Amino acid sequence: MADAMICPNCGVAMNHHGDKLLYEDAGAGGGHDSALGGAVFEFHSCPQCGGTATRPE
Amino acid sequence: MTAEHDARPLYIPVILGTVRVGRMSDPAARLMVDELAKRAGVETELIDIGRLSLPTNDAGQAIQDPGFAIRMERADAIVIVAPEYNHGYSGMLKHVLDSCLKEYIHKAVGIAGVSSGPFGGTRVVENLLPVVRELGLSTIFWDVNFSHVHKIFDKDGALVDQMFIPRIDKFLKELIWMAKTLRHGREHIALD
Repeated sequence: MADAMICPNCGVAMNHHGDKLLYEDAGAGGGHDSALGGAVFEFHSCPQCGGTATRPE
Repeated sequence: MTAEHDARPLYIPVILGTVRVGRMSDPAARLMVDELAKRAGVETELIDIGRLSLPTNDAGQAIQDPGFAIRMERADAIVIVAPEYNHGYSGMLKHVLDSCLKEYIHKAVGIAGVSSGPFGGTRVVENLLPVVRELGLSTIFWDVNFSHVHKIFDKDGALVDQMFIPRIDKFLKELIWMAKTLRHGREHIALD
């Protein structure tokens, strides 16, 4: 499992709660999965402030 | 849920989904804001897409309105008040919704349809469901249908038909339950 994302507001570990396949971003920001035909992005939320963040898988 | 978790109010803005002059969705959206504002632990506001100035020659983050994106990030749920135009949704509503993505993931959405005819925007609600699903929002199974909207509100925008209050109550109870549940999931339940 990759390192937890850290909330830029609170400094705490964020919760990785979802992945989404984005076709239009395939190859643009990394995370391209040839089997899926696009780029999978992870979605994270902060348990303290509720802020959100994303990054390529 | 912890006391700390409960201490943060839910934020549930209402999106007025049309820019047309004379839009009758305006009093409907304001009614939804008023009813949400009565709920303990809920903060709300009206987001009038007519006040956003998004370029129309691109999409997504390239045209994002910072104020709208911040509100969607903060939101735990959203209410979309959508008039039905030729069985569909407003093009500008779709354009605005498409300007965000990560801000929506695993958040609740409820849709109120508006029409001058008898069906209360049932078709626009159905047409919006696959859109909001692809955006990562989670739909509730209650809708509000403002049919014959010119008869529901008076010329000053005040509600005439009080039967809408209990319908909106059911809609908001479901939306708030989903908002609380999904907030807990986003913040505390890992994907794997």
